[in-house]
Amino acid sequence: MKRRNFLRSAGALTLASTLPAPMVLRAATPEDYHIAGILSFSGAYGLIGNDMRKGAELAVAMRGGELLGKKVRFSWEDDETKPQPAVQKASRLLAEGTQLMFGAVSSASTLALQSLSTQRKVPHLVTISADDSITKMDGARYSFRTSNTLAMEMNMCVEFVKKRGIKRVYAVTADYQATRSAFDDFAAKAKAAGVEIVGNDFAPLGNRDFSVIIDKMARSDADGILVVATGNDGVTFCKQAGQVGMGLNKVLFGPVLQDEIFAAATGEAALGVNSGVRYHFSLDNPANAEFVTAYRDANGDYPSAFAGEAFDGLRWWMDVIEATDSWDVETWVDAFETSVYENSVEGRKEMRACDHQAKQVGLWGEVVKGEAPLPDLTMKITEEFSANSLFSDC
Amino acid sequence: MTRRIIGQALMGIIIAVMIIVPFFVQDEQWVNLVSLILIWALFAIGFDLVFGVTGMLSFGHAALFGAGGYALTILTLSYGVGFIPGLFAAAIVGAVLAYLMGLFALRVSGLFFALLTLALAQMMYILASNKLRAITGGLDGIPGVPRPDLFGINFYDNHNYYGFIVAVFLIGLALMALLRGSPFGRALRAVQANDVRAAQLGYNVHSLRQSAFIVSGAYAGVAGALLASLIFYISPQMLHWSTSGDVLIMTVLGGKGTLLGPILGVALFELLKEELSQITQYWYGILGLVFIFATIFLRNGIAEMFQGDQDEGDMQ
Amino acid sequence: MSIIVIGLSLSFLLFLLAAGLTLIFGMLGVINFAHGALYMLGAFVGYQIVHMTGSFWLGLLFAPLIVACVGALIEILALKQVYDRDHIFQLLLTFGFILVIDDATKMIWGFDYKQVPTPEIFMAPISMFGSQIPSYRLFVIGFGAAVSLALFLLLDRSKWGMIIRAASSDPEMAQTLGVNVNRVRTGVFALGAYLAALGGVVSAPLVPIELGMGFSVIIDCFVVVIIGGLGNIRGAILASLLLGMTRAAGYTYATEWVELLTFALLIGTLMFRPAGLFSTKGRSA
Repeated sequence: MKRRNFLRSAGALTLASTLPAPMVLRAATPEDYHIAGILSFSGAYGLIGNDMRKGAELAVAMRGGELLGKKVRFSWEDDETKPQPAVQKASRLLAEGTQLMFGAVSSASTLALQSLSTQRKVPHLVTISADDSITKMDGARYSFRTSNTLAMEMNMCVEFVKKRGIKRVYAVTADYQATRSAFDDFAAKAKAAGVEIVGNDFAPLGNRDFSVIIDKMARSDADGILVVATGNDGVTFCKQAGQVGMGLNKVLFGPVLQDEIFAAATGEAALGVNSGVRYHFSLDNPANAEFVTAYRDANGDYPSAFAGEAFDGLRWWMDVIEATDSWDVETWVDAFETSVYENSVEGRKEMRACDHQAKQVGLWGEVVKGEAPLPDLTMKITEEFSANSLFSDC
Repeated sequence: MTRRIIGQALMGIIIAVMIIVPFFVQDEQWVNLVSLILIWALFAIGFDLVFGVTGMLSFGHAALFGAGGYALTILTLSYGVGFIPGLFAAAIVGAVLAYLMGLFALRVSGLFFALLTLALAQMMYILASNKLRAITGGLDGIPGVPRPDLFGINFYDNHNYYGFIVAVFLIGLALMALLRGSPFGRALRAVQANDVRAAQLGYNVHSLRQSAFIVSGAYAGVAGALLASLIFYISPQMLHWSTSGDVLIMTVLGGKGTLLGPILGVALFELLKEELSQITQYWYGILGLVFIFATIFLRNGIAEMFQGDQDEGDMQ
Repeated sequence: MSIIVIGLSLSFLLFLLAAGLTLIFGMLGVINFAHGALYMLGAFVGYQIVHMTGSFWLGLLFAPLIVACVGALIEILALKQVYDRDHIFQLLLTFGFILVIDDATKMIWGFDYKQVPTPEIFMAPISMFGSQIPSYRLFVIGFGAAVSLALFLLLDRSKWGMIIRAASSDPEMAQTLGVNVNRVRTGVFALGAYLAALGGVVSAPLVPIELGMGFSVIIDCFVVVIIGGLGNIRGAILASLLLGMTRAAGYTYATEWVELLTFALLIGTLMFRPAGLFSTKGRSA
């Protein structure tokens, strides 16, 4: 407590001694609560950004558009899925005074925003990027993640393999730092559980043709196929694997391999694929029922994981901020980092002060045929892993 | 001739106003925007030495830009080197990398030079995102790039850092003006106009091209370092071929072969990006339309609007 | 053995993607950076036709024609205006068109990924050499070979081809001989766009159809075109084979190095045989 006070005063002194007068004026109550949303609104991730926006805006709409007695104002900017535009646009928005940065989609842009948030002492909320390095121990003070980590999703994969009785796994891994570490993590834990890793091939990010790797997998004696790759690559893989009928005698699974959006992009080949699910509209609890109804009224279809996580994270943040009844950023951060959210659409989430990661349940599901009004291909949640089983202590 | 002088003076005034405004307006938006513009302008001026003056279309400058940024980042964060030495190192790294690229690329000319520089730069992008991830942080990049630490001034205040950028930019601009007006500059233009004739006249064409490339590498490196510090972040994206494409667009839009043209080209590009993206989500498409119109109707970019068509011989 | 079949399918897919690019460069001297965007447009238009009619074949037939019209429009409205200037301007124009086509696609089809199912006849894999080869891939091989033959015949053996080659190697002479060079240029660009879109429709059952797909193919296309020799159709076929087979082998034995290997091949070609590994002196098919 003492150390925090000291740091706070030292920080305030430094800031006060270097800022020109107008900025000191800005420390007075702002005229609105400004949220800077920096997401991908173009390219392959454009649809993710778009969904996140819908979820976030609903969260604000459902509380009458106000926070701390002022109107909430969003500024949405496209980071083109690159870090430089992300920081550039965020900087501009920070210049006009921002109370919260929200974004981004790709982990690289999110990390860049996080760096900015630390520099400028502006709160930063992450509701999608799964890269583990976003929430390091004693990392970025002003940055928080309320959604899944890749580590917990890989843990779910291990649990699934054990439950399903899969004995030999062949993996394909995107050639990217986060996914490589994730695979190593899985391999170690799987081997400890007596599962054999029959093979692992690295594919460049954005690979469009998996035919050779698929052929190797089909010829092997693996009974489970692990796909450690992000959205687009995962869809490509499933489509092409379907063309050799691989799903017939092997189980395809991955940490974030399928959901309603990706299943729609994959087609029939998605049936039977197992995957971690960040959020699902079928979860049975009052908060989720209320959210799904409101979302369908506003947008006409079921909320995707991107919309759900965005909604949930932002609503949690706003509930906590409202309760502090203060405009002081440090108060917000202190309150949020120890908060527990009982009203989450996923049940209960608990923010960890050590790494600013929300501890939460993990959902696992399989792609099945859906009946109207559900989408044609939908996720059936088959497992709900407890938070304690997926998170190790700080 | 008079028109050209008046035109240049006008361009100079516009640029001067652009530079001065952020010193007086407290609003951070302008500071951010012009900081970015000046950094890219430095990059574009260096690029134009190779492209506009010497007549070589390079698609690989992004590698030099990014290398400078990485040099600064790694030296300051991992080795505790000061910012100014880091900045010099960025210039040197850019120059050396340009020299090495030149060893490969200058064996061929014209279109193949362009394609080879593209391939070399893209290979460096792949290396930086992938194989060398231990050093470069891979696709996620390296956050926390510091600002300068001089004379006790707090450069984390964007207004102060802006002053620093202006200083570096003006030095770079002055140097380039001198270079272009010097015998070296004239020799480069001779090479562009007719390299066979130039060789017959006794110029060492290869060495001249090499030198132009190296100088532009230094400029790119410094610009890259300044950018990394501005956004506190470096990632392989800076090495991607689309970055080379961006600087090309800015230079052509502004007017290649002219000293001040590229600066205005950068300003227009960044201004359009900022303003359009606040109006519509299809801003990139509209930007594309603007390019198309500008390319068709303006022969040599913005500079042409001010100073008319270029003569072959004595441009500045 | 199955590696060879897979390698062939990779090769012909690459060829289908790159053919349009090399044609436009060879005959018009223009590097069409918008090639990837036209490929993407082909995939989306193909999806739309499949979605509305339920038939992949109708999509394959009509989508490239529609995109060819778009290509013709681009040539007439924009490229023609800068024909007499430095080639850099045409390059820049195609850059601009990438941005326009991308946003137009976003405007028409929105953000969602689209999906084209594998055509009915090619649903079941075929057993060959101990592997299950997707029959659609065999179709790609056959189709790709047919297209390459057709292009070769068109450019090398037909009257049209002669006119095109004449107009490209000496436009003034051809003009005086009665060839409408302007129309030929438009036609060639439209043909290039047609081929790009064809590649898009053929790829549709294999990859998700999304807004970023153009960028992911453009580098591959450049590699094939450069190694094969700019404007050299026969070279493009051979380069596709080389690249496809190398990739198949690479993915089998050393998947992490495939990308670097591709670039090493590219850089080597540019340094030592810049006209392409397989080119002859002329710029014919």
